[in-house]
Amino acid sequence: MDSSELYHVKQQFTLGAYKSLVDLTLPDPNSPDYTPTLIYKARAYIALDKPPEALQLIPSGSEDVALKAVSALAKYIEADLGERGGDSVLEELRDLCVEIEGDDGDVDEKEKGLVRVLAGTAFTRAGEIEEALETLGAGTQHENLEAVALIVQIYLSINRPDLATKEFNHAKRWAEDDILLQLIESSIALVTGKESYSDPHSFYTEQLANPSLTSPHLLTARGVTRLLRGEVSAAKSDLEEATTQLGGTPDKETLAALIVAYSVGTSKTTEADQYWSQLKSQYPSFPMVKDVERKADLFDDLASRFEVPPLAAAS
Amino acid sequence: MSVMLTKFESKSNRVKGLAFHPTQPLLAASLHNGSVQLWNYRMGVLVDRFEEHEGPVRGVAIHPSRALLVTGGDDYKIKVWDIRPQNRRCLFTLHGHLDYVRTVQFHHEMPWILSASDDQTIRIWNSTSRNCIAILTGHSHYVMSAQFHPKEDLVVSASQDQTVRVWDISGLRRSTPNTAPGTFDTFDNFSTVKYVLEGHDRGVNFASFHPTLPLIVSAADDRQIKIWRMSENRAWEVDACRGHFNNVSTAVFHPKHELIVSCGEDKTVRVWDLTKRSAVQTFRREHDRFWVLAAHPELNLFAAGHDNGLIVFKLERERPAFTMHGDMLYYIRDKYVRSYDINSGADVGLLSVRKFGSPYVPPRTISYNPAERAVIVTITSDNGLFELTALPKDVVGEVKDSSTDGKRGGGQAAIFVARNRLAVLNKTSQLIEVRDMANSVVKTIKPPVVTNEIFYGGTASLILSSTSSVVLYDIQQQKTLAEITTPPVKYVVWSADGSLVALLSKHTITIANKNFSQHTLIHETIRIKSGAWDDSGVFIYSTLNHIKYCLAQGDHGVICTLDNPVYLTRVKGKTVHCLDRSARPRTITIDPTEYRFKLALLRNNHEEMLYIIRTSNLLGQGIIAYLQQKGFPEIALHFVQEKKTRFDLAIECGNLDVALETARTIDRADCWERLAQQALKQGNHKIVEKAYQQTKNFDKLSFLYLATGSTDKLTKMAKIADARGDPMSRFHNALYSGDVLGRIAVLRDVGMHPLAYLTAKTNGLDDTALEILEAAGLTEADVDDVPSFGTSTLRPPPVVTTTTDLNWPSISTGESFFERALANGNLEGGSDVPYINGHDAGVAASSALDEWAKEEETQDDIAADEDGWDLDAGGDETAPEAEKEDEEEAEEDLGAGANPWISESELWTRNSPFAGDHVGAGSFDTAMQLLNRQFGVVNFANLKPLFVSSYRSTHAYLSPTASLPPLQLHLRRNPQESSPSKVLPVASRTLVSVRSELSEGFKAVSGNKLSEAQTIFRSVLQALLLVPVSSDSEAKEWRDLVTLAREYLLGVSIELERRHVVTQVDPENVKRSLELAAAIGVFAKANNHATAAKFARRLLDLNPDPKIVAQARQRIAAGDRNPRNAVEIDYDEFTEFEVCAATYSPIYKGSSAVRCPYTDAAYLPEFKGQLDSLLQLTEIGAPSSGLPAPRS
Repeated sequence: MDSSELYHVKQQFTLGAYKSLVDLTLPDPNSPDYTPTLIYKARAYIALDKPPEALQLIPSGSEDVALKAVSALAKYIEADLGERGGDSVLEELRDLCVEIEGDDGDVDEKEKGLVRVLAGTAFTRAGEIEEALETLGAGTQHENLEAVALIVQIYLSINRPDLATKEFNHAKRWAEDDILLQLIESSIALVTGKESYSDPHSFYTEQLANPSLTSPHLLTARGVTRLLRGEVSAAKSDLEEATTQLGGTPDKETLAALIVAYSVGTSKTTEADQYWSQLKSQYPSFPMVKDVERKADLFDDLASRFEVPPLAAAS
Repeated sequence: MSVMLTKFESKSNRVKGLAFHPTQPLLAASLHNGSVQLWNYRMGVLVDRFEEHEGPVRGVAIHPSRALLVTGGDDYKIKVWDIRPQNRRCLFTLHGHLDYVRTVQFHHEMPWILSASDDQTIRIWNSTSRNCIAILTGHSHYVMSAQFHPKEDLVVSASQDQTVRVWDISGLRRSTPNTAPGTFDTFDNFSTVKYVLEGHDRGVNFASFHPTLPLIVSAADDRQIKIWRMSENRAWEVDACRGHFNNVSTAVFHPKHELIVSCGEDKTVRVWDLTKRSAVQTFRREHDRFWVLAAHPELNLFAAGHDNGLIVFKLERERPAFTMHGDMLYYIRDKYVRSYDINSGADVGLLSVRKFGSPYVPPRTISYNPAERAVIVTITSDNGLFELTALPKDVVGEVKDSSTDGKRGGGQAAIFVARNRLAVLNKTSQLIEVRDMANSVVKTIKPPVVTNEIFYGGTASLILSSTSSVVLYDIQQQKTLAEITTPPVKYVVWSADGSLVALLSKHTITIANKNFSQHTLIHETIRIKSGAWDDSGVFIYSTLNHIKYCLAQGDHGVICTLDNPVYLTRVKGKTVHCLDRSARPRTITIDPTEYRFKLALLRNNHEEMLYIIRTSNLLGQGIIAYLQQKGFPEIALHFVQEKKTRFDLAIECGNLDVALETARTIDRADCWERLAQQALKQGNHKIVEKAYQQTKNFDKLSFLYLATGSTDKLTKMAKIADARGDPMSRFHNALYSGDVLGRIAVLRDVGMHPLAYLTAKTNGLDDTALEILEAAGLTEADVDDVPSFGTSTLRPPPVVTTTTDLNWPSISTGESFFERALANGNLEGGSDVPYINGHDAGVAASSALDEWAKEEETQDDIAADEDGWDLDAGGDETAPEAEKEDEEEAEEDLGAGANPWISESELWTRNSPFAGDHVGAGSFDTAMQLLNRQFGVVNFANLKPLFVSSYRSTHAYLSPTASLPPLQLHLRRNPQESSPSKVLPVASRTLVSVRSELSEGFKAVSGNKLSEAQTIFRSVLQALLLVPVSSDSEAKEWRDLVTLAREYLLGVSIELERRHVVTQVDPENVKRSLELAAAIGVFAKANNHATAAKFARRLLDLNPDPKIVAQARQRIAAGDRNPRNAVEIDYDEFTEFEVCAATYSPIYKGSSAVRCPYTDAAYLPEFKGQLDSLLQLTEIGAPSSGLPAPRS
């Protein structure tokens, strides 16, 4: 059982309260919580797309595989954000994965699991879905809930909610209704729309009422859920509240959701267009930007296939 | 073996007879030692004792309507007692029986007493004449019991002669017999044996009638209970209940249910099903043989007497299972889950739980989940069961039974802990299971203490109740957050805003905040039944006989008394909503003034206190004592008229003015003294002076004057002292005022010449000294031996500051809020401080439970789709084996080599024939093809922004996991629909939004911003291309909108063109007027009379020919009549031609035209194959299929 502080840290990480995590003061270096907390903090930096800060945090030359994996992931994401290839870093992660497979005993299960999760994250970002699933141990007997979360998200991203549900049901047997398990359940429902998205809606609502943390991510998530449920005005208020909590500048997911919130069912696109240009300029590599741009290009191409006759006009 | 629900128990000598009072909580018990006890079983106190019988008393009964008690003993006597406390006594004694009297009974309407005796007779006595009026003979052994029929003129008796007899006593009623004593022979004529019931193999101990049915139950030494049925002319044995393994003492019918209750010498009380004749329950005692059993005529209450006392017990819990959600009460009555709206009073049965658990046991608890609209019901039978069932949305006709789709399991307590989680406690294994809505266990918790009950504890928390404490337990972290030591907690009530919780035990209430960091404990001597929070944060609770309140800091008091226990459900202002013991909702109006006042006092809410003071008239001694005790005497002062108390309070809070005033009216020495003391403390010497004057306390008064330097007053005092003839006082005053002569005078007057002489001498008053000597008849020589003392320095201290007229300045103690308010006569005015019951917070429910409670409106009862890939979790438990196979199959797929399936976007394109949906799905390719096919669209360039923004609004992005690329989430049109064959993208443009845009266009037209209007109408028509429709009526509306927008666009375009032309070319007047006429028609058709009129005015400007002028005027008139554009006017003179949308020239009816495949705008035939000029989208005259039929 984790100590109460570590539990709290883990909960914050799970629920996307990255901002409060990076502001966290690390415990005493001799405390058994030190390294795990450090890792969570570094991962929070990475999640906020600030890999350099994460790298700064990690002591160089550490022999700890988990730390090495975190720093590798940070390097990979740094490269990825800079649109540079990170193949060499991927190799590094692969090596680490091989290393932990060896039975040399000084790496405990928890650390192994963490390395797999971090490597899996990198592989997924690199588009190596198959490799990611294999690394994470999809379909095998393991008790690594974070890996399950990743696997489920990967399955969902390739439109396999059936497999995601199976993986989740496996995990249900041993995961003791962990908060992460509930998150996984709600993620699946976000995609399948089971019971009008009631799982994610209640999950995010309940967690927003959780007194031990505030996370704008939760607000964004509930906003998105409400969008999916068709409650546009409620969604808007969530998203705006999230923006306020983020200090006035919405993050990419909030921006994306705001665009949708302001363009559903209305003819006025002023706000939506404004958010759109903000998203486009700040996060050009965000999937939504890429996707929509691609569609726009496609449009021109497709439109040109039709022959346009001369305009009818009084001569 | 069930646990007996004992209400009351007493230890005594063997109890032989028992009788309930029909209305009051009283029970009479006759004992083997000759005593008759009268118990108040609710309060648990012995009310009275009647001890005149010699030897055991076996028979006892209470009169159904009068305060009378009848007893019959082994001394052959029957005694009738008045049981009213003020004149309790034996009224009379009936003599006649020749052996032990076994039972006695009052008749329900006649003044008759029935008795059964070992002298083998049954006698009926007239209690008015105090004579025996009938002797029923026939039994050949001891008559063990005799009972009147509750309605008819029948008596049933049981005897050791092994028979049960039914006697007809109707003759007794018809003619009152000769009541002269001693004439026994006359009796027998009036009563005859009707039936002799034989069947028992041993002596029969007891027999009684069913309250409504023609049935008799008898209990005998053959260990059997027999049921007999009577008809008009015969009676027969129906069946026997076997199970007692020793003599059965008594058996009675349950007054309400189809049950028989019996007790026997085998130390058991047993409950039997009347219809099945099977044993239902058995209560066993270790050592005590049961001798007698009595049923309460109205309530679910029984009493049984045994070797060492008696017990009063219930067969079933009366506390109805209930739970509140907002203003809705969900409760169970007669095994039906019902809802009761406390605002409207609507009381609806929702669900039957008849088949859940034992039919004889009512459900124990109910927990309601508003998000799922589901309930969990628990029951104690079968070692504890729970059942999770969804409530129907609306009940039509027969309510469903929970057994049809309820999910059950074993457990002693089960509650919802989150929207989709329930917690189930298993007491024997001491495990708490967290289950999901499919009833599969997701988590198992080992509680940290031995847990007897679990309750909701706030978000993700449980309250565990153990024998000595309650624990607030975090389910996620699996750890104890807080613990409070308390007696076992039986019920938990959360306040509306979830900030406070009341933990109810049998005799204590603990009020705690939500994290248990603060709490207070209240003790009650009477059992606590239930409680509910007032909106203002006061806890209202009920005990057996009171409704009380309790403030968060622990103050409590009585609000009103109760005749019968009730179960509070909700408190709103002055109304307490509750369920009575038969689970019927009712309300009680209470006076909340006292606790509101105390609450206001605690919160320093002076306005409200003032308001209460003004408007209410309660405030008796209790509240004054309370205020005084709580340190608010100055407030209490305002309520008191009684002088003494008022004075006490004034002294206590140092309000000297009031104290002085009251002291004057009381005018008693001790008051003045206390006033003086208090005034002295505060330095108000004027009041001290007054007080001293009143009490004639001259010494103190003088000293006071000395202290204040008031010399003239001292002089006065001296005069007074003189007048009083008190030399000591005179001397004092002289001393204080420095009046040497005065002092000498006093000394001389009292004959203390030596002192007088010395005083004079030492003060340099030699003449006076001589005078004294002379008076004493001495000379200076005589006092030679007196030493010389020198000059005295004794002087009163000089006055530095004259304080005589000054009072010591004191901090204003009075002038409180109240004084100001009361003094200003504000009592009448300023009544704009209404009492607001509660905080806003109560509404803005902060607890998570309430949070998720709020959004249930959108829930639909569409079942989870079983088809396709959405595996229902419920499948896990219904078919475990099938699942195994599934799993293996899946195992191949599950793993690294998982292949992507088709995306939701693709499903969308498959599911819809509408271009709009295809755009939303991002399939621009097919969307364009559809538009081309359906509407002949060829020029897409203008549609690009529309396409892009539509597509943009159908997807949201979210990554639940850190650092992974976000998931693309698909916004569906109908969030309730998740079947892959039916899902559709959200419509970014709908008919509603288009219509609102269109009205913008109308506004632009009436504002004469025509080019703006033109843009809007174009945009509307473009948007309509992508609006999907879902029904025929929507399709029609869509078509109407297209036509409307097109006609407007055409009209506006013509007008724009006209303005353009008119400014340059005048000669074409005639042609233009035709076109304008066409435009008028167009607008008139669109019901836009205002615009049509405008066009008509323009037409007149052109001076056309008279016929047209007339028509134009008509149009203007119509426009004037209907300046708004909504009213339909039947007008068709101008429909005979259309206008070519390219040239704006008329196309007369009958002449050929080509049309725009989308808007149906007409064009001259020469434009066929060209791009339409209105929208520049379609190829004129191209073949098209039109809007596809909506899919239902």
